[in-house]
Amino acid sequence: MSAMRTYSVAVVILGGALAVALLSLLPAEHALHVPGYVVALLGKYLCYALLALSVDLVWGYVGILSLGHGAFFAIGGYAMGMYLMRQIGARGVYGNATLPDFMVFLNWQELPWYWGGFNHFGFALLVMALAPGLLAFVFGYLAFRSRVTGVYLSIITQALTYALMLAFFRNDMGFGGNNGLTDFKDFLGFSLQSDATRAGLLVASAALLSLFYVVCRMLVGARFGKVLVAIRDAESRARFLGYRVERYKVAVFVFSAVMAGLAGALYVPQVGIINPGEFAPANSIEAVIWVAVGGRGTLVGAIIGAILVNLGKTIFTGALPELWLFALGGLFILVTLFLPKGVVGLWDRIMARRVPAPPLVAAPVRQPEAGE
Amino acid sequence: MRKFLVTCALVLFAALAANPAAADPVEDILTGFASSKYDDIEKSIDALAASGDAAAPAILDALSAGDLQVSSDKKLYIKGDDGSLKEARSGADATGEIPPGLKAVKVNNRVRRAIDAAMGQLTLLSPDPAKRLSAAASQFHAPDPAQLPAVESAIAKESDPAVKRAFEQARAAIILVKSDAPDADKIAAIGLLAARGDEDAKSLLDAATASGSPAVADAARGALKGIERSLAWWSAAQNVYYGLSLGSVLLLAAIGLAITFGVMGVINMAHGEMVMLGAYTTYVVQQAVMVAAPGLTDYALVLAVPAAFLVSGAAGIAIERSIIRFLYGRPLETLLATFGLSLVLQQAMRSIFGPTNLQVDNPSWMSGSMDLGGLAITYNRFWIILFAVAIFALLTLVLRKTALGLQMRAVTQNRRMAASMGIRTGWVDSLTFGLGSGVAGIAGVALSQIDNVSPNLGQSYIIDSFMVVVFGGVGNLWGTLVGAMSLGVANKLLEPVAGAVLGKIVVLVLLVLFIQRRPRGLFPVKGRAVES
Amino acid sequence: MTEVTDALLYLDGVTVSFDGFKALNTLSFVVAPGEMRAVIGPNGAGKTTMMDVITGKTRPDQGTALFRGSADLTKLDEAEIATLGIGRKFQKPTVFEMHSVTDNLLLALKGDRAPRRVLFARETLSERARIDEILETVRLSAVRRRLAGELSHGQKQWLEIGMLLAQEPELLLVDEPVAGMTDAETADTADLLRRINQTRTVVVVEHDMTFVRALDVKVTVLHEGSVLAEGSLDHVSADPRVVEVYLGR
Repeated sequence: MSAMRTYSVAVVILGGALAVALLSLLPAEHALHVPGYVVALLGKYLCYALLALSVDLVWGYVGILSLGHGAFFAIGGYAMGMYLMRQIGARGVYGNATLPDFMVFLNWQELPWYWGGFNHFGFALLVMALAPGLLAFVFGYLAFRSRVTGVYLSIITQALTYALMLAFFRNDMGFGGNNGLTDFKDFLGFSLQSDATRAGLLVASAALLSLFYVVCRMLVGARFGKVLVAIRDAESRARFLGYRVERYKVAVFVFSAVMAGLAGALYVPQVGIINPGEFAPANSIEAVIWVAVGGRGTLVGAIIGAILVNLGKTIFTGALPELWLFALGGLFILVTLFLPKGVVGLWDRIMARRVPAPPLVAAPVRQPEAGE
Repeated sequence: MRKFLVTCALVLFAALAANPAAADPVEDILTGFASSKYDDIEKSIDALAASGDAAAPAILDALSAGDLQVSSDKKLYIKGDDGSLKEARSGADATGEIPPGLKAVKVNNRVRRAIDAAMGQLTLLSPDPAKRLSAAASQFHAPDPAQLPAVESAIAKESDPAVKRAFEQARAAIILVKSDAPDADKIAAIGLLAARGDEDAKSLLDAATASGSPAVADAARGALKGIERSLAWWSAAQNVYYGLSLGSVLLLAAIGLAITFGVMGVINMAHGEMVMLGAYTTYVVQQAVMVAAPGLTDYALVLAVPAAFLVSGAAGIAIERSIIRFLYGRPLETLLATFGLSLVLQQAMRSIFGPTNLQVDNPSWMSGSMDLGGLAITYNRFWIILFAVAIFALLTLVLRKTALGLQMRAVTQNRRMAASMGIRTGWVDSLTFGLGSGVAGIAGVALSQIDNVSPNLGQSYIIDSFMVVVFGGVGNLWGTLVGAMSLGVANKLLEPVAGAVLGKIVVLVLLVLFIQRRPRGLFPVKGRAVES
Repeated sequence: MTEVTDALLYLDGVTVSFDGFKALNTLSFVVAPGEMRAVIGPNGAGKTTMMDVITGKTRPDQGTALFRGSADLTKLDEAEIATLGIGRKFQKPTVFEMHSVTDNLLLALKGDRAPRRVLFARETLSERARIDEILETVRLSAVRRRLAGELSHGQKQWLEIGMLLAQEPELLLVDEPVAGMTDAETADTADLLRRINQTRTVVVVEHDMTFVRALDVKVTVLHEGSVLAEGSLDHVSADPRVVEVYLGR
C-alpha cells in the first residue's frame, strides 16, 4: 500500500472525528448538532477499531489467532478505571477520600498496595500500556518458546482470558468484583458528563487509532513485516533460515497487547464502566470476527470491520434485540464461508472487475492464504 | 426466700401425705409425670429408669411418642394408635369412664434427651442385640459416670463381639468424663476412642485435652492428631469422589469433542451447544412422558438417552454437511464459523424455550445418598460416574470393532488412501461428526440432572472440555479419560484449599503451563504422521 | 568442547525412536569439509530424520552430532544451527508463497536476524547486488517480481536452493531436489549442485538414480536407521544387501 493511501486512511479517521467533535459542540438547537450519545458511541467504535487493529496485526500478519485479546483490552481498561476511581476522591457515596466506595462497602481499612500511584495519571498511563504488555510477554514467552501454535494457542489464549474473568469476579481481588469500577466523575480534571470532554475523548481515540494504524502500516511494510508474513506462511522455513521465530512472535504479541490495552483504557471513560464481563471469551472472539468481516491481514479492514459490525449491533439491538445474536452468529458463518477476504477483499474484487485487470504484481493489498 | 422454701416443703409433704398409693415407690415416681414442670418430668424419667421396672420401657416409649396421658387424679395411661387406653403400669385395658382431665404429658427436647439416656440404660440388658447396640451408642453420646457399673456388668455378660466393642467404647467415654477415674484408665480409654476415630470420638477427646492431668491431656492430644489425620483422609477421599464425579461430567462433555477435534481435527466451538441440545431434549422427553404416561416419569431419562443422541447427532450431521465440510484444513476458520453457529443455537433455544432455567426432575432412583465408611455417596453423581464409564467403554468399542470405527481411523490416518480404497470419505466424515455430536447430546442428558438447563449450559463446559482433550493428548480416547478424571480430581482437591473460583483458576493456569511444556498432551501421538 | 574430529559433520551412534520404532538406529555418518555426499535408501530408512537431527528439529535419544568438530548440534535449535552455517532444503519445496521472489531471497540473505536489527534494516546496494547474482545463478531473474506462490514446481525448488545460497552456509542439506522435475531440469540441477560444491559442502538425499549417477560422488545407503553401505555408486550397487533392500526388484 502506498504511503498516500496509508496517510489518507489516518486523515479520514482523524478528520471525521474532529468534524463530529466540533459539530457536537454546536448549540443543541442547531440543525447540525451531534448529540452527546452519538459522540460517545463513535468514540467506543474507534476503541473497538484499535482493538481490532491489534488483533489483525497478530492474526493477519503472524498467524497467531488470539482468542484472548479482550483480556489485554480489559486490563488496560481496569488501569484507567483505577485512575478514574481515585479521581472521584471524597465525592463517592461514602465520602471516603482515599477508598473507593466498593472497598468501604467491603469494610476495607486501607488501599491495597497495587492501588498505590493510580492517583497520578502518568503512572496510570504507564500501567495501561505495561500491564497488558507484561502479561503478553510472560504468556507469549512461555507459549511461543514451546511452539504452541494454531488452534492450541487459540484455546489457551481463551483459557487465559477466562481465568482472568473468574479472578476479577472475586471481591477480594480488589477490583470491585462483579460490579467492576464505575461511577466515574472526571478525567484529568474534566467532567466526564460534559460534551466537551466527550468530544475530546473522541478525538483522542481517533488520534491514537490513526497513530497506531500508521505505525502498523510502516511495520508490516518494512523488512520486519516481511519476516512476520514469512513466519505466518512457512514457520519452519523461517526457522531454518536462522530467524528466532519465537522472538518475533513475542515482540509482535507484546506490541499488539499494548495497543489493545490502550484501546481499553480509552474505552472506559467513554462508556463509564469496566467490569469482569469485558474478559468474557465471547468478547475476544467477537473482536476476531470484526477483523474477519473487514478483511484479515489488511489493517484497514480491521478498522472497517469493527465499525461496521458495531454499527450493526447498535442498530440491531435497538430495533430487534432478540435477533442480534442470530445476526452476529450468521455473520460469523457467512463471512468465513463466503467472504474469506472480508469487505476489503470484496471491494478489491469489484474494483478489479471494473478497471481492466491490473498486472498481478501490482496487487494493492496482499491477501494471506486461507488457513493458518 | 427461706419462707418460700419452707412453703414448698410443706406443700410437697402435704401432697405425699394425701396420696395413699405412695406406698409403692414406682407408683410414687409415676406421679411425678403429672407435674407441669419439665424439671419434675425429667427427674421422674431418671428415677423410673433407675428403678428398672418392667413397665418402664413402654412408658418411656409412649412418653417419647407423645402417647402418655395423665388424668387429673395423676394416673397414667398410654393411648394406643386406635384410640384405646391402657393403664400405664399394669398394661391392662382401662375400663369404665374416660378418666377426667386426661391430657398428654408434655415433652420438650431436654425431656427427649433424658428419655433417650434412660432408654439406653434400660436397654443395656435387652435381649435384642440391636437394642443393646443402640443403648451402647446412647451411653457413648451422653456418657454418665453413674452408669459405669451398669455398663461394666453389661460388658461382662455380653457375648456379641460388635455389641461388646460398642459397650467398651461407651465405657471409655464414661471413664473419660468421670473426674475421679485413674489416669491409667483414662489413657486406655483414649486409646480405645482413638481407634474409633470419628467426629464423636474427636469431640470427646477434644474435651479430654483440657484434663487436669498432663499425661491424660497429652495422650488425648496425640490421639486427636491421629483422628484428625484419618478424618482428613476421609475428607480427601470424599473430595476425590466429588472429583471423579466432576471428572465424569467433563469426560461426558469432552469425549464427543475427542472424536470431532481429536480424531477429525475439526474444532467445533458449537460442541457445547450439542450438549445443550441433549439437555433440552431430555426436558422435552420428560414433559412428553409426564403427559402421555405419568407412571413412567421415572424412566423418562432412559428414553431421553437415545432421543438426545439422535437429536444432537442429526444436528451434528447437518452442521458437518452445511458448514464444516467446506472448511476442512482451515481450523481457525472452522473455529470462527462454529462459534457463530453456537450463538445462533443459543439464541434459538432462548427464543423457543425462553431464557430461564428449565426444571428437569431427578427420577427417584437417582435421588438420595448412602454412606460408605466416612463417605457420603450421592446417587445422582454415582449414576453419572457409571454412565460416563459405560459411554466411554461403548465408544471405545465402536471405534475398535465396528466398520465405521475402522473406516474412521482409516480416513483420519490417510484420507487419500482411504478414498482410493473405496471408502466414501465424505460419508465417514459426516457420520464421525454425527457420532461425536450425538455423544455430546448424551452428555446433555447427564448434565440435565446436576446443572441448570438453560441456553448457556454448553458454554460453561466448552473451555473445560477443550482443556481435557488437549491435556489428555489429541487423538487418544484414553488420554481423554485420564485427562478428564485428573482435571476433575485436581479441581475438587484444590477447592477446599483455595476456594472454588481460585481453585479453578489455579487449574487453568497449571494447564496452560502444562500445555506449554508438553504441547501434545499427556499421551502424545508421536512420529512422522503428526508432523505433516 | 575440544575438537575431536576434523570432519565438518560428525554423527556417531545417533538413535531416534518414535513410540518404540527406531527411525535412526546408532547411525554414524561423517562428511569431510568440501565433500559432496549422496544419501539414498528406501522409504522409512531414516533419511529425513537424519536431516532433522542435523538441523535441530529432532532431538536424538542418544548419540553425538557435531558440526566443525566443536558445535554440539543436539543442544542447539533450528535458528542457531542455521546461523552456525547449515542450510536445509525441504523435501517439499517450501518458500514464502506470499512474498515476491526477490523478497524471498532478501529474507534469506546472510545477516543479523535479531528482531531489533531487522526492525530498522533497509535494503543496501550490496544486498541488491547479491540478490541479482543469486537470481542469475538459479535462473529466476525473469520472474523476480512474481509472487513465489505463482512459480512452477521446478522454479520453487530452484528458488529454495537460491535461498540456501543466500544464507551462505558452510553445509547444505538438500532433500530430494529433483522430485517432480523434467529430465532437463534434473540435469541442470545436478550441474548447479556441482557448482555449489566448489565452495561448499553438500549432502543430497535423492531417489533418482540417474541424478545420483550424474553427481558422481560418494554414496551412503541408509536402511532401517543405520548405514547399510558406503562408497562409490558402482560399489554400493554391487552390494547384494543394497540390491536386496533398495535397488533390486
